Amino acid sequence: MKNFKIDHRTNNGFEVLDLHGELDAHTASELEDAIKNLISHKKSNIIVNFRRLEYIASAGLGVFMAYIEDVRSIGGDIKLTNMNDKVFNVFDLLGFPTLYDILDDEESAISKFLKEMS
Amino acid sequence: MNSPSKNSLQTSFELKTVLETSRMLVESRDPEFIINSLLLIIMGRLLVPKAALFFFDPAEGRYCLKKSKGFDGLNENQLYDIITDVDQQNDSYFTVDSAHPDFPQIVLEPNNSIFVNLRTSNNHHGFLLLAPKATKTPYRKDELEFVEALCIISTSALVNSQLFNELKNTYRNLDRRIHELNTLFDLSKEFNFLVDREKIARIFKFALLGQLFIRTFFLIYKTADSHTLLASSGLTGKPSDKQIKRIFDAIENEVVIPDSNLIEKHPWISKNKIAAFISVSIQNEKVAVIGVGERANKIPFGENDYNFLKSLSNLAVISIQKTYFLDDRIDKERMEEELSIAKSIQEGLLPDPLPRIEGIDLAARTISSREVGGDYFDIAKTPDGNTIFSIADVTGKGVPAALLMANLQSMLHVLLPVDITLAEATERINSIIFKNTPSDKFITFFWAKYVSTHKLLRYVNAGHNPPLLLRDQNDEFELLSQGGLLLGAMESIMPYVETDIQLNPNDILVCHTDGVEEAMDEETDEEYGVERLKLCIMKNRHKTSQEILEAIVEDVRHYSGNKLGDDLTLLILKASDSF
Repeated sequence: MKNFKIDHRTNNGFEVLDLHGELDAHTASELEDAIKNLISHKKSNIIVNFRRLEYIASAGLGVFMAYIEDVRSIGGDIKLTNMNDKVFNVFDLLGFPTLYDILDDEESAISKFLKEMS
Repeated sequence: MNSPSKNSLQTSFELKTVLETSRMLVESRDPEFIINSLLLIIMGRLLVPKAALFFFDPAEGRYCLKKSKGFDGLNENQLYDIITDVDQQNDSYFTVDSAHPDFPQIVLEPNNSIFVNLRTSNNHHGFLLLAPKATKTPYRKDELEFVEALCIISTSALVNSQLFNELKNTYRNLDRRIHELNTLFDLSKEFNFLVDREKIARIFKFALLGQLFIRTFFLIYKTADSHTLLASSGLTGKPSDKQIKRIFDAIENEVVIPDSNLIEKHPWISKNKIAAFISVSIQNEKVAVIGVGERANKIPFGENDYNFLKSLSNLAVISIQKTYFLDDRIDKERMEEELSIAKSIQEGLLPDPLPRIEGIDLAARTISSREVGGDYFDIAKTPDGNTIFSIADVTGKGVPAALLMANLQSMLHVLLPVDITLAEATERINSIIFKNTPSDKFITFFWAKYVSTHKLLRYVNAGHNPPLLLRDQNDEFELLSQGGLLLGAMESIMPYVETDIQLNPNDILVCHTDGVEEAMDEETDEEYGVERLKLCIMKNRHKTSQEILEAIVEDVRHYSGNKLGDDLTLLILKASDSF
């Protein structure tokens, strides 16, 4: 399951990226392309679902750092959900919970989005 | 009143409290909770309205107030003097009236208020301050024992929780270091396979953004002729080329944390909130400058972060340099391939094999000091059945000279069938070259038409080294120098002059270029010169043209220690015996 893959779908009008496999230095640019593509279509309420992601390297985290300001400046956010412990530990270790909403599941992310919009 | 039964009942109750509390405290890892519980249990059990807890600060020799309940005039986290004598650190407790005189006067009955020692079996950790009980009765012995027991248990729990938290922190830091090492390891593997420098720079960027938790980043790489912003993130607008160079030049050390001086000179730094610069040098030459913004959670960078930044930057920059070297090598290989093609094209411009001319023994050869050169010779038939011999030397060497040489060759062949005199043709070639080439490019040019019916050689010399004519039975050389100015120097003002000479059997004509006369003896710093050339021709005059040519080449090579600095061309005509 080393192969990295991104699926794109919507859930209640929110953009969802499902990450599969291992997100490392080699595959980070695929995530970058996916996020850039959403931003260019002015789709800025983004949920990234990590349920099927097994490993993340620093370069993968860097992609989120590079685009979070762009997304927030057009009124959106990137919310992260369904991380396994190993993946969450990396995010936690590097300080990400202070800047990103990391939630248990998509429903929590959606209700957080809705609360912020109201 | 103090019946034994009530006493034992109370003792057993207190014992139970101590036991339950100890279990609760020992299991807790939260120092706040432990301190709070200790104060509340004692205050509640003994009806103490005011209590406070101090930690000993060994570095200061004073006591830090951690928690106070009910006291006015005590500030948490402030340092206080409590003891007058270090022996007091060994007492189970002492009354406030024997405390340090500087300790605030916060209790009404100092002789009825106590400091209880917070200690483990071998260390003193602080004091618990208790005001007089609400009942105003003095502390009883069994109450003090109860307090003492609770204090010992709580202190152990506190020390444990501190150790536990330190250990947790150590583990977390270790985890971070391991993660940094993994990042370095992953990237070094990844960079090894990459030849695309943009991609290396992008991966480097993402790894730094993620690992350091930053949003702003840039990488300037210096090549031989420019400073390039290879990657960036979070910058407020793209910096100009001039700004890029200025920033690159301003960073002189391996790690630079911008100070007010630097920021004043480069407002760009504060505008982009750059928190640190790293410069990477390879073999003492600064090749890259990396800038990073502050951490998103504002935690300042530490030694470990700078070390990581340096290591990863070095790794990325070396990999990027490798891609430039690879480009250079590919360019060089392509250039060599092109030159070798150019060489074969140029060789194709020279007559091969040499045409046979009735009555003339002919030899010619050109040796280039590089792949391609600016020397030229030609032998071609004219429509009237005669033969043209030519030799030329373009200024400079290499590709530019070769291009001009090719140009001359094509002009010559275009003009061959045209019914004009040699002098007129020379004039046309001159004006075309003058118009089409830079003013520092010339051609020295000699050509001659051999009219076989009359054994006549009609020549024009446009600034070329005069060919040497050695007549049979004669030891003096005639120089064929008549003609006009070299080609391409100026517009034709004076017409070129044609001169006719009669050829007789065994007359030898040696045409040559600079490379022959200017071949250098490196030891004496002396040129081969025309006299040595003449001597060599004289010595070999009875041989064939080809043999004379080889003798000259051999002599020149020997003279220069086999180092020909310039292109060298020889064209030799010898009128046949049977002429």
